Parts: sequence; C-alpha cells; structure tokens
Amino acid sequence: MKQGISVLMDGELHEDEAEVLLGEIRRDGDAHGDWAVYHLIGDVLRQPEHIHRDLGAGVQARMKDEPTVLAPRSRAVTQKVRTVALSAAASVVAVGVVAWMSLQIAPEAAPQLAMQDASMRPVKMAIHPKSNDYLMAHQEFSPAADMTGGTAYIRTVAYSLNEKP
Amino acid sequence: MRVSIVILSLLIWASPALAKTPVSIDWLKTMAFASHQTDYTGVFVYQYANHVETSRITHIAEADSEYEKLESLDGSRREIIRHHGQVWCFVNHKIVPAGTRPGRNAFPALLPEQLSILGENYELRDAGTDRVAGHNAQAILFQPKDNLRYAHKIWVHVDSGLLLKAAVLDEKARVVEQYAFTQLQIGREVDRAALKSQLVGLQPSGPANQSVNINSGWVIDAMPAGFRKVTEIQRSMRRQHAPVIQIVFTDGLSAVSLFIEPNDKDEDDIEGLSTRGAINLYQKLVGDKLITAVGEVPPRALIQVLDSARYNGK
Repeated sequence: MKQGISVLMDGELHEDEAEVLLGEIRRDGDAHGDWAVYHLIGDVLRQPEHIHRDLGAGVQARMKDEPTVLAPRSRAVTQKVRTVALSAAASVVAVGVVAWMSLQIAPEAAPQLAMQDASMRPVKMAIHPKSNDYLMAHQEFSPAADMTGGTAYIRTVAYSLNEKP
Repeated sequence: MRVSIVILSLLIWASPALAKTPVSIDWLKTMAFASHQTDYTGVFVYQYANHVETSRITHIAEADSEYEKLESLDGSRREIIRHHGQVWCFVNHKIVPAGTRPGRNAFPALLPEQLSILGENYELRDAGTDRVAGHNAQAILFQPKDNLRYAHKIWVHVDSGLLLKAAVLDEKARVVEQYAFTQLQIGREVDRAALKSQLVGLQPSGPANQSVNINSGWVIDAMPAGFRKVTEIQRSMRRQHAPVIQIVFTDGLSAVSLFIEPNDKDEDDIEGLSTRGAINLYQKLVGDKLITAVGEVPPRALIQVLDSARYNGK
C-alpha cells in the first residue's frame, strides 16, 4: 500500500490504478495518514522555509511528561512551571548551539549536553519541624560549628522550632 | 565566523578553569580560633529561599569553657544556649536539653588532619576584600571538586578573624542560604553577667541523651569521595522510644548524618526529600528500618548515600 501511495504521488500510476488506490486510501485510515505524511515530507523537502513546526512547544510538552525524580508539593507549582519553561528554552538554545558546534569542534559538544540535567531543578518541600531533632543531632557533629561557631545552629533553630511538635 | 568567535569566547569565559589565587589556610586557623576565643555579640540576618530572619548571638570565652546564646529576634522566642559542650533549647516557654557536642575540647580548633581533608575536597581561593557590617573583610571561596557538595563563600573580619558573612552556593553559583552580621561588637563590652545568669539552674542533658560507640554493621557503598566516617553511635533521641543509630561522615566542611531506627511510622509520615536552606533531609524505608539522611550537601548527594546504604552485619 505504501509503495502504491509513493508511486501515485510520483505520478507514475495509470489513471485506473490511481482510481482504485485513491478509493482504498479514502476507506483506510492508516493509508490516509500515510498519504498526509508523505505529502508533508514532500512539502518540507521542496519548500522548507514554509514549514513552521513549533519545536519549543514540543520539547516543552515532552519535558512535562518526564518523570520528576522528587515529588513536588503544591506550594511550588508556579515555580515548577517556570523552571520547566526555562529549562525547555535553555534546552532548545543549547541543542541548537551544540548541533551547530558539533560541526565545528565535535569533542567540546558533549559536556554542553550533559550540563542540561542540572537546569531541571527538583522542587522540594520544607523540612518538617518534627524532624528538628535530627537536625539538632546532626549539628552536634557537623564541622561547620568548629569553624564558624554558634551561628551554624541557626539552621536548626530557624523558623519552625516554635511550632508545636 | 564571527558568531563562532562569540560563542567560543562565551564558553571560555564561562569555564571554571580560570586562574584563581589560592588562599592561605592560616585564615581558617585564625577564624576557628577567633570564633571560640573571642567575646562578641552581634545581630545577624539569615536568609534562604524567601525566608529572612534576624537573630542575636552572644559569645563569651572563659579559661576553661565557652558560653553562647543564639536568640531569635523575629517571631516567637527561640533560643539555643551552649555551655561547656552542653546544648539547651528554649522553646515553647521552657528550656530543654538538646544534646551535646561530645568528644570536644573546651576550645575545639581545626586540627591539621581536618585542614588537609578540606584541601582534598575543596579548592580554596582568595575572593578579594570586602566590607561587611562596616568592617573590613577577607573573602574566601571553597570551591568543591565535584557536584556532590556545595560551594561555600565566607567573609572573615580582617582584625579579629571572626566570621562576618557566609554564603552557601550551588553548582551554578546561586545562593542556597546566607547569613551576615548587620552589627557586631567585639571585646569587653559584652554583657557577661546577663548571659551567665541564664545558665543558673540548667541541668546537664543527663542520661536521656547518652550515647555509646558501636559498630552497627551498616555500610554505605556509594559514599561520595572525600567523606570519612567520624562517628558511629547508638543514642537516644527525644521523640523516639527505641535507640537510634547515628553515623556521621564529613569532608572537612560539610557533614552527612544517617539515622537508622526501627520503623514505627505510617507510610504517609515518611518525609522523602525536604530542605531548609543548605540543610537537606531525605528519609525512606530500607527493609524494616527507617533511615534518615541529613546534611549540608545537595539532595543528589544525600540520595546517593541513602540509596547505597545496606546492612552488612550478622
């Protein structure tokens, strides 16, 4: 069938054969899809400047589907959306630059791609006050207090100790 | 061609390989000495994410001990008092013992081995001179050699060696948390009497916080390079009935603690990953044990540590 569509599009089918094939394409959804895709491919090859594919939106949509390793809580939803948008934009730009650069100096391109992971920062929630005992116990052994003195304890006492356990 | 030059120069500019002046570790010795042996009182601001708070710290040094009080100036009254290795917390209108700093001298100093560990894991750079709270300061950057720890930038008072400002930075040099003195008074004027009067009647933490050194049988297969085990104890903790195993690893500047205890929680109560400034906490079940990793390291380091923890005992 695909072969037939291809031959038809090249104008190499006889009129009666073309009639039969067009009828099949009309009835067969898959063949209809192939027909549309082949025409799209043809159009892109012939006139690439007229084809506008929103690559950014595609990348962004795919990134939203990516599993985030750390489950975010509701508080940071807006931040997450912004992070995703920024990461997507950065990825598109970086991919563009890297693809272009790989033509020039191939070895340098790889680290650029690898760095993209870091821009996808997970959104985290605040440490619950009930875990303050762990922080306090940790502080007893942290070298921070050796060097900086008691200000290191601010991490433990900050903000939430006043909340009831 | 012009575009390629621009991009290349941007890449070169952004690369961290630029020559940086190394800094003498004498600064660190001076700072460690000063923070324990100087009388001072000051107000400092602590900031992380969208959280800002002001606190006052008062520190006095005596022949054989240190007194120190950290009090919140915003919101409800919170205090931490340290004296002679004991720690108390003033919270919910009462003072409660909150642990110790065991195995320390009255004046802990940075040991030579601690300094050498630090040098293995961080590159120390001179970050220039600056003014903080009206004082001249020397800035020093601790640039980690991998992305499993944060960068630290500190501003040291040139005259006294006290720490005036400190910032913790992530791998993109964004501030994770910072604190800075807005006012600092050094020397005799510090009101010793007021501070010491508060200590009257405070009991040592006592048996409730006793700990014993043990060999727990727990091992970490993927400990980030440069972290060494400094403590492995079994201890009691305030809210836990059963004794808790605590294992502490440090790279000279940051530390990771693992707390291992029998699980008596609902699935929903297990915290997963959470954060407060540069401190991260990661909690999960490993078999029938609840393990909590706490440390001033990036989340990825905590996850790597906890996920590679396994029981290798009998």
